Amino acid sequence: MTRKPFAALSLAPAIALLAMLAIVSVGGAIWLALMNRTLRSPDAEFVGAYNFLRLLRDRRFFNALEISVIWELFTVAGTILLAVTLAILIFETVKKPIWRNLLCFAFLVPVLLPRVAAAFIWRFLYSPSLGVINYLLGLVGIGPVEFLADPSLALVSVAVVDIWQWGLFFTVILLKLLETLPRDPIEAAMLDNARTWEIHAYVTLPMLKGPIISLVLVKAVESLRSFDLIFVMTGGGPGTATETLDLYAYQMGINMGGRISYASAMSILLLVVTTIAFTIIWKAGRRWAN
Amino acid sequence: MGKLIGHAAMRIIPAVLVVVALGPIFWTVLGAFKELRDIVTPIPKLVFEPTIDNFVTILRNPTIRDGLLNSVVVVSATVLIGALLGIPAAHALARYARRWGDDIQFFVLSLRFMPPVAIAIPFIVIYLDLGIYDTLFGLVLVYLTTSVSTIIWLAVPAFESVPRDIEEAAAMEGCPPWEVFWRFSLPIAAPSLFGALVFTFVLVWNELLLALTLAAQNATLPVVAASITSLGKEVPWGVINAATVLLVLPPLVFIGLLMGLLNSMVRSGPK
Amino acid sequence: MRNAKMMAGTAFIVLAAQTQAFAQEDATACKGKVPTLNVIAQGMPAVTALDEHLGEFNEKWGTEVKITLLGENERRAKSRLDASTGAGSYHVIYIDEANLAEYVSADWVYPLAEVVPKEYDISDFRTDLSNVATVDGVQYFAPFVGGGDVMMYRKDILEEKGIDVPTSLDELTAAIKATNDPDAGRYGWSARGQRGSGMNVWRWTPFFRAKGGEWLKEKQPVFNNEAGVEATELYIDLMEYAPPGVATFNWSDSVEAFRGGQVAFLIESDVFGPWMEDEAKSTVVGKVGYAPPPDPLPSAGWAHGWAVSKVGADTDCERAAAGDFVGWATSQEMEQKRLAAGIASDIGRVSTLQSDAYKALVPAEYIEALLATSEKTSLLIMANPAWPEIGDNLGLVLEELFSGTRDDVKSALDEAAFFAEDSLARVK
Repeated sequence: MTRKPFAALSLAPAIALLAMLAIVSVGGAIWLALMNRTLRSPDAEFVGAYNFLRLLRDRRFFNALEISVIWELFTVAGTILLAVTLAILIFETVKKPIWRNLLCFAFLVPVLLPRVAAAFIWRFLYSPSLGVINYLLGLVGIGPVEFLADPSLALVSVAVVDIWQWGLFFTVILLKLLETLPRDPIEAAMLDNARTWEIHAYVTLPMLKGPIISLVLVKAVESLRSFDLIFVMTGGGPGTATETLDLYAYQMGINMGGRISYASAMSILLLVVTTIAFTIIWKAGRRWAN
Repeated sequence: MGKLIGHAAMRIIPAVLVVVALGPIFWTVLGAFKELRDIVTPIPKLVFEPTIDNFVTILRNPTIRDGLLNSVVVVSATVLIGALLGIPAAHALARYARRWGDDIQFFVLSLRFMPPVAIAIPFIVIYLDLGIYDTLFGLVLVYLTTSVSTIIWLAVPAFESVPRDIEEAAAMEGCPPWEVFWRFSLPIAAPSLFGALVFTFVLVWNELLLALTLAAQNATLPVVAASITSLGKEVPWGVINAATVLLVLPPLVFIGLLMGLLNSMVRSGPK
Repeated sequence: MRNAKMMAGTAFIVLAAQTQAFAQEDATACKGKVPTLNVIAQGMPAVTALDEHLGEFNEKWGTEVKITLLGENERRAKSRLDASTGAGSYHVIYIDEANLAEYVSADWVYPLAEVVPKEYDISDFRTDLSNVATVDGVQYFAPFVGGGDVMMYRKDILEEKGIDVPTSLDELTAAIKATNDPDAGRYGWSARGQRGSGMNVWRWTPFFRAKGGEWLKEKQPVFNNEAGVEATELYIDLMEYAPPGVATFNWSDSVEAFRGGQVAFLIESDVFGPWMEDEAKSTVVGKVGYAPPPDPLPSAGWAHGWAVSKVGADTDCERAAAGDFVGWATSQEMEQKRLAAGIASDIGRVSTLQSDAYKALVPAEYIEALLATSEKTSLLIMANPAWPEIGDNLGLVLEELFSGTRDDVKSALDEAAFFAEDSLARVK
């Protein structure tokens, strides 16, 4: 077997499967988006671009778009920063394999919690009158802070939970990646009397550029779907302060309105916007990495 | 002196970060053993009379057992098939596909841009026609989008970091491409694949909306966990904590096994 | 496309079937013909207590009852999607006050009397609950939990401050202000603030109604009138005397704050009454008094119950088994069995309320308050299929007002009413 057939053979099944699933989901969503189907009645008519035009006049949609962008920035940047910092700190300070493995396991726990349960737990931790965070703040004379009821704090407060879950998880992945790096360049830098942070900033992290970019994008995609967390913690409130696009689509499509066609139109627009945004980021990232 | 302080800081800062990061977990474990009265107090209680009632409530609930079983079947099938299809594809993308590689890789990622709300209805309709609505197979099928695409996406950089000389040397010695992949590339990339597999596992393990909409009797754990969060009108805080503690154990075991497997793969690989 | 046709087809068959009277199939003829009977529900005590009796029913019909328990939001989403797409996974569906209008207008459920055998006396259901379960004179679900409001107050605090139990809204307002003492960690009041038709809107509505508010006038939304504004202003004013974070409180936060001893007055659904007397969960056992909400506040009626799904139970035997299940699970005998097991919170029948077993389980004062409230209880929300959407949007602007994101009450309500017009226009 030569190279080409082997490559084709290993690619084809995966791509064929993905293409099939993509056609079903995107095709289905586009078809729904052009109708006025609601959950209430099975009768639906073709309405053309009506749903899309209505979206362009929907204040809540643009608010959700804005919240989604902020949410993306917070959670992705927070996750990666936390992960890089913690991974390097642990890589440098915890040398015994047993401790390192134990820490890794502990750090995996948050992301393995059922999201809904994690959201409930944090909702309680954040409670101004019953939560332990406000109790501790109270001891040093701050508060009570209304983490989830204050419109300017709510989004950050929920983002912290997301960062807590994913950041610790990414720490483990990065730590594993750091361990797989060849020792020679690091040792060479050490011989040059480089400081620890210099080694990481100029040697190890650049070596991990490729994987880190992949992780950033994957996290960005995951951040697009955080409705379960936000739904339990704030329901999108106060007002619409934490209402992201996928939450709004859920509220409109399944939870409250049952306007499934409208939600589909929203999803299609989201698909278009993210594809454009991510293409730009991905091309830029690729160029930077090479 | 300055160096000493620096040294101490290097020890203390990670310790503090770790404590902060794991504090909520610790608090959850404590809460799992508390009666509601001890949870709902303005002054948090560190000392209390522990109870195992919360765990009893959970373990008595038969839907948890079913949910766990369903989740194990669905997630292992999804991750396994995802790995079988995704890892070779990623290798091919990293090594052979020069012109289209980037575009295919991006297409794979873009599959996950759409919110699941929009995917749910088309899939319900098609699944009803095919007769696979409310089956574990149906769930696995839709989750394959997630697992195959995520594994490809994260495995490509893993294979790109495999030194080309090793592969070329092996090829020079007459190894067919599949053998190069199987005996050389895969073992070298294995530790980096760990992240891809665990990541996929986590995504599928925690997926709620599609599980809720595409299955009825065959609910997976996230759906069951969501149902535990309200017992009647009451939010059973103690039970939620206990459920959380219990539900975290199976995936931890799985990841432990995966780590062990990868470690042994690394060891058996070429030096 | 195919599906739309398929569902139109089903609708036609259902219509055709309706024109002929149902032949009541009995258990002997159908025994074994319905291998599983699928039921969707929330984990209410009335539902979970069924578990140990299911064998009896399974035996009778040669079936296996499978109850899928979900949280409220998941349950609503799931049962609606299931009926809407024609999946029909559930023979028996769980309905509440907020979505009954939608289920009836979409023709997803059978009228109760058509499917539930006569021996399960439907007229014995509590009138306040049956009213909620009824659209145009036809009852659709068998309620097993529900009720109205009750005012809970801390007898010890009132005694300490020398305040009488308020009987009017003005007295209540004054008493709330008098008992508020944040420095001591004690607040006069608590309420729901989180957005949602069943959340802040639910508690806001009695105030709105007390001010004489109406939802619709000549089919157009008018809740942005004077009454709406006054009710909202009073609601916001009272929130000043509530625990921090109240702007996004759900019922659980509110009730736990009271149960944790931080709140002097609370008007909430009456089912929360017995919670206060639970030693394992409450720090205020024996300190709580119960009274009807002070005049002119009405009491917000609600009910949850089971109905037989037209989409799921489409054969004669399935319908018969599902109907019998609904009757059996909500029967007088079943309620007595629950009382015998010490569960006093879910009562759907008049005969149970009057039974000695019930009186032995709850404080006499609570029953008195219940009885005194029941005549004030009715469905206060808008009985319209578009209500979930309208209510949610109203809840959203209310939460914005509560949390201070916006402060112009009138314009906020105008916006919600404007949105409601759009929603109403879509209901054909």
